Amino acid sequence: MSAQDAWRIFAEATRSLGNPEIDAWKAQGGKVVGFFCSMVPDELFTAAGILPFRMRGTGSTSTELADAYFTPINCTFPRHAFNQALLGEYDFLDGMVCINSCDHVRRVYDNWIQALDTPFVHVMSLPHKVDDPQVGWYHDDIAVLKEKIEGQFGVEITGDRLDEAIRLHNRIRALQKELYQMRRAERPPITGVQALEVMVAGTALPRERYLELLEEVVEEARTAPGVDGYRARLMIVGGELDDPEYVRIIEEQGGLVVTDSTCFGSRLMWEAIDEEDPDPVRSLARYYIQERPSCPRMCGDQPRRLAYVRDLVNEFRVDGVIAERLMFCDQWLVEHYMTGNDLKADGIPFLALDREYILSGTGQLRTRVQAFLEAIKGTSVTIRAGAQSLA
Amino acid sequence: MVMTAVKQKSVDRYVRERDRFAEMLEMARLVPGDEGELYAKMFEILLDAKETIVDCVENDKPFIAGYFCNAPELFTAMGVPWFMVMESPFLQSSAPYVLSEIDATEHMGLGTDLCTAIRLPIYYIEEGLMPVPTAAVGLLYPCDATPMLQQVIMHNQGWKDVPIFSCDPPYTSDERAITYFAEELKRMVTFLEEHTGHTMDIDRLREVCEESNRTYSLWQDYNELRRNVPSPHGFTPGGSTAFAISQCFTAGDPRCTEWFDLLYKCGEARVKAGQGSIVGNPDWKERIRLFWFDILPFIWAEDFLPWLEQEWGAVVVMDMFGHCPYTLIDTTNEDTIFYGLAKRALIDAPMIRQARGTAENFSNDIRRIVPDYKIDAVIWPGHMGHKDGSAASGIMRRTCRELGVPFLHIGLDLFDPRYTSVDEIKDRVSEFFTGMGLG
Repeated sequence: MSAQDAWRIFAEATRSLGNPEIDAWKAQGGKVVGFFCSMVPDELFTAAGILPFRMRGTGSTSTELADAYFTPINCTFPRHAFNQALLGEYDFLDGMVCINSCDHVRRVYDNWIQALDTPFVHVMSLPHKVDDPQVGWYHDDIAVLKEKIEGQFGVEITGDRLDEAIRLHNRIRALQKELYQMRRAERPPITGVQALEVMVAGTALPRERYLELLEEVVEEARTAPGVDGYRARLMIVGGELDDPEYVRIIEEQGGLVVTDSTCFGSRLMWEAIDEEDPDPVRSLARYYIQERPSCPRMCGDQPRRLAYVRDLVNEFRVDGVIAERLMFCDQWLVEHYMTGNDLKADGIPFLALDREYILSGTGQLRTRVQAFLEAIKGTSVTIRAGAQSLA
Repeated sequence: MVMTAVKQKSVDRYVRERDRFAEMLEMARLVPGDEGELYAKMFEILLDAKETIVDCVENDKPFIAGYFCNAPELFTAMGVPWFMVMESPFLQSSAPYVLSEIDATEHMGLGTDLCTAIRLPIYYIEEGLMPVPTAAVGLLYPCDATPMLQQVIMHNQGWKDVPIFSCDPPYTSDERAITYFAEELKRMVTFLEEHTGHTMDIDRLREVCEESNRTYSLWQDYNELRRNVPSPHGFTPGGSTAFAISQCFTAGDPRCTEWFDLLYKCGEARVKAGQGSIVGNPDWKERIRLFWFDILPFIWAEDFLPWLEQEWGAVVVMDMFGHCPYTLIDTTNEDTIFYGLAKRALIDAPMIRQARGTAENFSNDIRRIVPDYKIDAVIWPGHMGHKDGSAASGIMRRTCRELGVPFLHIGLDLFDPRYTSVDEIKDRVSEFFTGMGLG
């Protein structure tokens, strides 16, 4: 298997819901469970021998079936994902785990159990704070999910199996982070589009198989000539962004996305899970509540999130930050309001963009990014000479 | 006491609101009979709340910013003056400057799709238009916007020295959830003791909870009266007003119980006289009994709610905040009290009850309220901030279909009549009533 093959598989897994790797997994009798939000500990599924699949709405062109359940003031991400489920595009799932990550996604659970007959459907209760009592709550909630998986799928998730799964997921995180850190270079080995493909594919493929492919990609990146000819180094901050085409439009205007803080991006892997704790469920709870970079949903953690963004801006020599938000998302609206004020005070150019889940309004997006790049040109000290469009 | 300009600015609108309530109290005192007294007592309570906070600011006394449905009996028992951080959009909804303040929130960069009731307090905090308290406590539901409001408070430079504790309600409603939340409430008490100098006396808390039990018993009795045809009251005074008085201003206070006692007497007198909510014209009769499943509208209430009654004979017999499923608190010991307060906050209190967890309480409430109150139609107004509820509107519609009761989802802003105009709302409602053969 070459890196070229790995890139092809990653692209394929990113641009559709199902993929041949899932087909092969299912053909061998493997189970697949979908899950919403990166706060669900997918290590549990791996430990149970189940393929965890991060829910998306990829390929959706309409929400007409979901609109009988949701309304126009609901985020288009769950509407498209649920529409895909109603169309049967998620029939390969043997289970679905939802979580109260936001007001829109949490209602997918309620509507799913009304409309679909997936054998196993569960909703997790994620705390809103990052303190020790919340770690305790989430520990017990993870234990409840573990017990339900064991009961539903007839498997025992032993401590050893969970330790092994955590080690596997950590190995993936380490390689993803290594790939990201190579992007600190003046000539990053991959584009933002490729980085997102790597990350999304990591939520859609059997994890051991994904690790093999990732190793190929990282190995190739170590000696890649790198990308040049860009006008500015950009960082994307935001939530549910799983569409590389969105990043492509940004990069086509001449900006190179060198890092991010998004739900499918660096926040997934910047920190590793503790492998030493004798209680791996406690390790998971601590990691998801306190240790991994948080999202705006976690109250009281905004200073740490801002520090995380600032650190990445410095580490990756970012010229400007693009803050993307899905329409009707209260969490990212207010977070971007605060982050924007803070970064502007630091002198860091900041552009807030609202978007729909399905790529649309691309003309406006191009115009706004072009204007942003022009504005950066006036403020940044690290503008590259002789810049050419990456397109 | 001489105040700094910053402090003066922070309390200016509270002084204005206080003065306005003083005027309204004088007007209410002119209304004869028990109903006049009912309104007068309500304004006395609101006025007292404003005076208390203004006094705290002017004289450097400790007070806190709180949040609705966050076990207010605890604040009463500790004797901590508090104001609800979101109260101004509700209490001053008819003030002429509110619409321009809504515009100002957009200019700040808060967009137009964030709940107006959250955008406005963010604006007040960011612009220094809200009294800066000694400490702040919050509740991290019923919606995504709530924790974001808390985080703006934490982020704001003017409030940077204000210690904050936010209670974290779990998503589930079982024993584990209630016990966890009871511990959160205990942690909130410890926090308040540490930062306000006020202490908790468990015997005093017992008294307060017994008082609030009396209040809620009376409220349940009063709601029995609303089952009558015609309902003795409509959009006022038993719904949102009853909630505000019991949860935001006088929880566990004998004045609160007295108010509900008077409310009951007023309702009972009307039932005995066969008098419904609609008065002023012999042709106006109750013809449609409505369940308005949300908060009632505010800024545009006067343009709409009387129209409902007079044009269509449509009486809001029940609304989300008028529903009273409050269970009584077992005051045996500290643990039972905190357990009861946690259960009341999580499972009973309006909006938290429906929006905090899975959608079943939306459908359960419809199933319970429609037959109990002989409801002819359910309206889910679809406030632009209530996104989880809107994502449950399909579930509500199916529940209504099963019950054979018409259901309408409108899509509006309970505060800003420019989002969906009042005329358009009236058209939608009229078409609905006509199409369903109501009225």
